[in-house]
Amino acid sequence: MMKVFDMLIPMTIEGMRITIGVFLLTLIISLPLSIIIAKLRMSKNKIVSKVTGIYIYIMRGTPLLLQLMFIFFGFHYIPVIGFAFGRYQAILVAFVLNYTAYFAEIFRGGINAIDIGQIEASTVLGLSKRFTFMKVILPQVLKNVMPSIGNEVITLVKDTSLVYILGVADILKAAKSVSNTYSTFIPYIFVGIIYLIITAVLTRFLNNIENKFNYYR
Amino acid sequence: MKLSNKKSILLLLLLSLIIGVLSGCTSKTSAETPVEEPNAEKTTYIVGLDDTFAPMGFRDEKGNLVGFDVDLANEVAKRWGVTFEFQPIEWTMKENELNAGNIDFIWNGYSITDERKEKVNFSSPYLEVSQLLVTLTDSPINLIADMKDKVVSTQGESSALEAAYSQPGLVESFKNGELIEFPTYNEVFNDLEAGRSDVVIADEVLARYYMKNKGAEKYKVLEEDLGSEEYGVGLRKDDTELCEKLNATFSEIKKDGTFDEIYSKWFSEN
Repeated sequence: MMKVFDMLIPMTIEGMRITIGVFLLTLIISLPLSIIIAKLRMSKNKIVSKVTGIYIYIMRGTPLLLQLMFIFFGFHYIPVIGFAFGRYQAILVAFVLNYTAYFAEIFRGGINAIDIGQIEASTVLGLSKRFTFMKVILPQVLKNVMPSIGNEVITLVKDTSLVYILGVADILKAAKSVSNTYSTFIPYIFVGIIYLIITAVLTRFLNNIENKFNYYR
Repeated sequence: MKLSNKKSILLLLLLSLIIGVLSGCTSKTSAETPVEEPNAEKTTYIVGLDDTFAPMGFRDEKGNLVGFDVDLANEVAKRWGVTFEFQPIEWTMKENELNAGNIDFIWNGYSITDERKEKVNFSSPYLEVSQLLVTLTDSPINLIADMKDKVVSTQGESSALEAAYSQPGLVESFKNGELIEFPTYNEVFNDLEAGRSDVVIADEVLARYYMKNKGAEKYKVLEEDLGSEEYGVGLRKDDTELCEKLNATFSEIKKDGTFDEIYSKWFSEN
């Protein structure tokens, strides 16, 4: 039994680098990007709005697993494009494209929910459009969408396990390796607990942020 | 620091990150470049394997890659004077990885079947294994005929699966006419032990490794099996030179006894 953990713990630590790495990189890139996409989706320009809508539709309408497979294995079959993604690049591209779409819809909903009176008041006060969005609208949006964003963030942690399809080793793959070497199920239980711990830490962190935004109560 | 300065720096960092990632896309690492040059110039080959497949290619307690196939491949590399890099892949994607040029060999207890021959080139066979039928020790099942209306499971995408389907009427005779598939043999045997599956069909090498780990006395291997198959190395269809070179080396290894050495290291109980 001890030998199981002798193998499991170092491999899990190795796998954590991928799990946490994919998680952080995806968040850092897709959160700001999704605000831009959300604004594009709400653009008065019909073409911009439609094209963005199609992008969101495709990314939300197909499984992330399929997107990973397509971007890594299928991309170089498209005749116009000359290159193929590397393993880690494919992972980043797929995750960012996918999560940006989901976050964009959340932000769009949040922005739409803001009372039009806010924009009217800002205009009356002579505030620029940029200032209005960044200092008046966005803070209120963030306050409202935090729970939804938090949901997606926690889902992202679990979705990192999909990298197995490209042969990349995250913590779930570490469990599979140890499990197959020692013919036991215990590594899966261990990794399940790890996911729970990560989620607990994240939930705490997200709650802290929500509390910071709670300036009306 | 002023807020606008902080934000500009953050934005700059973000932009450089994105640019860094995107520029990485246009330069493929040598590991990903498809084989275009003649084989004579290559000094590194990539062996694709599922690194959770004990005992052919898996991780030992230190996390090192070990196994029968690993040893055999390293022996070939030694004789060619080249380097073999081992790339873990997802088993269900193996032909995709090969044809995309990400790996040069599929080398992981890869059973030679007619369907697979259509997609890849096979080296000459290097190991013969049977598809075993395994039950718990006290099971009333002793013959294939006893498997009628019983719950049977095996690993998905495996040659055990193909062997079962290739026997006319066999899978239809199981309970509900189905053969349950699991991702790895760990789950398959787990189902057997949990009492949910009555019989499992397994590659001989895997079955023996698993039963050795768990205590062979818990299981019973049926006298009859679903036929035997041969393991070969998978190569791209147009890598004919490479294939011939590999076959020649396999002959050498078998003739001079090195093969038997490697075999007895991993399969001593057979």
